[in-house]
Amino acid sequence: MRAFLFLICPVLLFLGVSYLLPFLGIVQLSFTDPDPGLAQYSRVLTEDLPTGVIWRTLRLCVLVTAVSVSCAYVITLLWVRGSPLVRSITELCIMIPFWISVLSRAFGWLSMLSNRGLLNTWLQDMGLIDSAIQMTRNEFAVVVGMSHYLIPFAVFPLATAMRNVDERVLTAADGMGASRLRIFWQIFLPMTSSGILGATLLVFVFSIGFYVTPALLGGGQSVLVAELIYLWIFQIPQWGMAAAMSVVLMLGVGGILYVLMRRYGEMAK
Amino acid sequence: MNTHFQNDLAEILKERAAKGQISRRQMLQGFAALLGTTALGAGAAKAQDGRLVFVNWGGDALDAMDEAFGTPFTEETGIEVLYDGSGPTEGAITAQVQGGNPSWDLVDADPFTSQALGRKGLMEPIDYDIVDESKQREGFGWEYSSSCYFYSYVIAYDATQFDEPPTSIADFFDTEKFPGKRSMYKWGAGMWEAALLADGVAPEDLYPLDLERAHAKIDGFKEHIGAFWGGGAESQSLLLNGDVSMALIWNTRASLLHKDTEGEITFTWQDGIIGPGGIGVLKGNPGGTEAAMRYIAATQDPERQVVLFQMLGNAPSNPAADALIPEDERRFNAMDPENRPKQIALDTDWYEENYGAALDAYLQIISA
Repeated sequence: MRAFLFLICPVLLFLGVSYLLPFLGIVQLSFTDPDPGLAQYSRVLTEDLPTGVIWRTLRLCVLVTAVSVSCAYVITLLWVRGSPLVRSITELCIMIPFWISVLSRAFGWLSMLSNRGLLNTWLQDMGLIDSAIQMTRNEFAVVVGMSHYLIPFAVFPLATAMRNVDERVLTAADGMGASRLRIFWQIFLPMTSSGILGATLLVFVFSIGFYVTPALLGGGQSVLVAELIYLWIFQIPQWGMAAAMSVVLMLGVGGILYVLMRRYGEMAK
Repeated sequence: MNTHFQNDLAEILKERAAKGQISRRQMLQGFAALLGTTALGAGAAKAQDGRLVFVNWGGDALDAMDEAFGTPFTEETGIEVLYDGSGPTEGAITAQVQGGNPSWDLVDADPFTSQALGRKGLMEPIDYDIVDESKQREGFGWEYSSSCYFYSYVIAYDATQFDEPPTSIADFFDTEKFPGKRSMYKWGAGMWEAALLADGVAPEDLYPLDLERAHAKIDGFKEHIGAFWGGGAESQSLLLNGDVSMALIWNTRASLLHKDTEGEITFTWQDGIIGPGGIGVLKGNPGGTEAAMRYIAATQDPERQVVLFQMLGNAPSNPAADALIPEDERRFNAMDPENRPKQIALDTDWYEENYGAALDAYLQIISA
């Protein structure tokens, strides 16, 4: 145990110097720039722009998390319980996105979804629609783009949970005459709920910090917290505001994490 | 605004080189002109020993540029020039100077940013004994920033969508007569002016901007906005992809669209909003103020400015350059005597005072 503590010291030191100290600096800035006091916090929590951005970020991230985790659930089912061929195809689909940068993916979605993009062109050629549907530069595109990025991350906690499901329980339910749907809803789903919670945690925390995807796909109409912080640091410098916003964001995410983790701990017992 | 614009110029060069429209050599020349890395020439050979760091918006070409221009420049003047592409935003410059030991010398920042920072004591005043005031356009010289080029927010439109082309900013806001979605600039500059002009404010009465009126106009028009663009490539693709039928975009991109689509997507100078670009010098810059000022003076050479115009489409800051531009290309010069009167210029003083609060309010409107 002592050797372990000794070995881990450099890491703790590194984290302390590179994360904790700067963060304390940010906390200090949030109370002192431009004037000492709580003015920055009261502005962040009451003014229209920051509160609007906070709510939009939360709403979008909840939506993205729901979409990602549901899609990932289906994909993971195929991966864990499908036939060998299905498994290998699914595995490729999970792995390949990891090799493509966020930026390329955002542009990919733009060329896919824009008015003269692939999807609209196909739909028009097939005669399903008369004029192009606007699918980019709005929240729909942001949710699609962000979910596409986050789904693979949700797969791993789900896969762990699904692999831990005791096959015999399912067989027993089957033997007692439960329908397949009932087995899924009443047995399989509850037994994988820790995985769902884990995936939710991971995806939600990731999604809060997204910058590039919403900026590109949102068409300027869905500014999220990360972009606002950037703006306040570089474009129109108000460092106190940026710092206060960062602290609020951190406390918010920390709070959500704390609640979910406790729940996760109970479930994992 | 200009910060984004600057970044965009480098992108345009790379794209054109990739398409084979310009040679790699021309691209590098363009970068050199863009960064003001013109050789100071024999007359400046006795310039003091030293080193200058010029900060712009960089990219892959920084190394190539250093090799192509940094080295000969050093040979000629004894001044080594290093290129830094990390982006001289107002926040970054503040951090540099307030940190007490800046490593940057020259920055390509908005004139109003340089002015605001200058008044806070973070920038050196331009030394007009070295920088030639007569090589600047009337009304575009500042205490802490030297004018180096111009660009303009112009009305670009998809001509295939309309029987009659739009001829004024009022047409931009008229979706009955000119159907289709619109695009405006995400960072506000130029858009307030456009909204107010369309709302009937006379050009001479624009400043100080009536922000409430401008925001009301934009708020009422928002349902017709397909996207607020944040970068030049984005503005270009919005029109090319047919996502919008009309957009207020930089004239550099509008000219490219006009050339690439053979006029199918084109633009008008009418009611364009001119943005000035400038070079500033950080307070206590490590390379020495005099060297930095000489560097700026070298960028005023009209022939170099024509190269810059031909590469990128941004207008020369030295009025003597206008006449050197070949006849058939003058229509793309924002400051050409033909085009200039159709446009109005952004007021640097107003932006210096009000940009921060105005942008906050603008974002609130467009992202609500």
